[in-house]
Amino acid sequence: MYGGGNTFEGIKTDSLAAEDPIKLAEFEARITRGEKIEPTDWMPQLYRKQLIRMIEQHAHSEIIGALPEGTWITRAPGFKRKMALMAKVQDEVGHAQLLYSAAETLGKSREQMIDDLITGKSKYSNIFNYPTYTWADCCFISWLVDAGAIVNQLANAKGSYGPYCRALDRICAEESFHLKYGHHCVIYLASGTAKQRQMFQEALNRWWPPMMHFFGPSDKISAHTEVLMRWKVKMGTNDEMRNQFLDMYVPKIWELGFTIPDPNLRKDETGKWEYTEPDWEEFKRVINGDGPCNKERLEVRRVAEARGKWVREALKTPKTSYVTPLA
Amino acid sequence: MNSLDPRVARLPKINEPVSPKVPLDQFGTFEVFVQPKEGKPFQHEGSVHAPDLELAWVLAKETFTRRFTCTSLYVVNTRDVYVSPLTEGDKNAYDLLPEITEQAGSKKDFEIYQLTKRGKQHVHVGTVQAVLPQEALVQAAKLYNTGNIVYNVWAIATAAIRFTTPEEKELWLTLPEKKFRDASDYKGGDKLKNFLDRNIS
Repeated sequence: MYGGGNTFEGIKTDSLAAEDPIKLAEFEARITRGEKIEPTDWMPQLYRKQLIRMIEQHAHSEIIGALPEGTWITRAPGFKRKMALMAKVQDEVGHAQLLYSAAETLGKSREQMIDDLITGKSKYSNIFNYPTYTWADCCFISWLVDAGAIVNQLANAKGSYGPYCRALDRICAEESFHLKYGHHCVIYLASGTAKQRQMFQEALNRWWPPMMHFFGPSDKISAHTEVLMRWKVKMGTNDEMRNQFLDMYVPKIWELGFTIPDPNLRKDETGKWEYTEPDWEEFKRVINGDGPCNKERLEVRRVAEARGKWVREALKTPKTSYVTPLA
Repeated sequence: MNSLDPRVARLPKINEPVSPKVPLDQFGTFEVFVQPKEGKPFQHEGSVHAPDLELAWVLAKETFTRRFTCTSLYVVNTRDVYVSPLTEGDKNAYDLLPEITEQAGSKKDFEIYQLTKRGKQHVHVGTVQAVLPQEALVQAAKLYNTGNIVYNVWAIATAAIRFTTPEEKELWLTLPEKKFRDASDYKGGDKLKNFLDRNIS
């Protein structure tokens, strides 16, 4: 068949009962063998639905995540920091392009995803609903929010869906620059003047609660989670991801002499981190639209969409039309 | 709008609601192929959306070759990629090609891409001459079927491809100068060590 032959069937039901049991068994066996699923392979509707949701949210997070950092490009301290931050923000938007393509292979068109973002139907990472007051907030994102994202992305890169894994391999390679750059920025603040140290400490105080929210609430081990983990859509529980992040980065923050605003944060004998339970009511409130920057983030996207319309119209040719990408 | 960012605060107010896009009424899809090093085969990297081949090439350059070494890239409309069935296990995609009688007409070149490991990229293996893409796959089976399992084969009419011109190849020569985009340019170790020494003593 010519490329783009596989069309989206639409999701009829969440239930696995409607699936062909033989095909389902073959599908699960392939994942157990460690093989990747490709776009034209048979897959359960639930798998398709959850992957679209996950990859799409990831793509939106890259686009929206570029906003709180992008705002600092003109004010970054010095030419080198400006160049680096510009390259980083360009990377993030590029990552969104890769991820949208991966989600499209599952049958949802890019324009539909953009529509769902600006109408508020689709979500993006909650942490980007908070403002970057100072340069130190921007450094916190570059270092620690990216670190959190890398923990998630490295895990997901071992997932079962081929196009998503290939996009993530490329993304993770670029993220290593972000992480080193972010750490570099924070080391400079830490070893600088008392005012610089204070700036980062204040940023840390502001960003720690949303950073703990970043990995999501504790999963209840439901049948739903269990099936998604078996299909390698979800590669670890939210608590496992959070624990891994704390394990890797709390020592590095302490090493720089900063205080993490949680008196209960400590590692227990088994190597698991204990912490004050994050405020999940606030998390829910912000995710549902009542955060400090939700309106601004979506409004920026809406304005861009409206102002760019004439350009898209002018470029459109009847000769080419949308098809689903190949792989 | 109230914003900490003066540029956002200055944005005009858009009164009309943004109308949803007509489903699938959007730019075309193009597949992107990159040659990472001189002498290495081209491999499939992903896709971009663009109004035409020229802009697809520009977007492909921005999306896929900001990092890593690259000596050349090309793009082709997704509709111009002819795809064999996808197989798994010990089934060879070459064995599943339908028979095709020799076609009358002038032969043209087709670029052949193979998938030899599921989960990895399609990689270029060579160029064949045929009238139809179906025939090109059969030609490829004769030339490139070594018995090792191939899971998927693509045939792309060479004439449909937007190649990189020799002058454009200079674009990638500056990549090694842009060290500020590499993790290796951010060595904070000495500064960190000095800081720690100062604080311990």
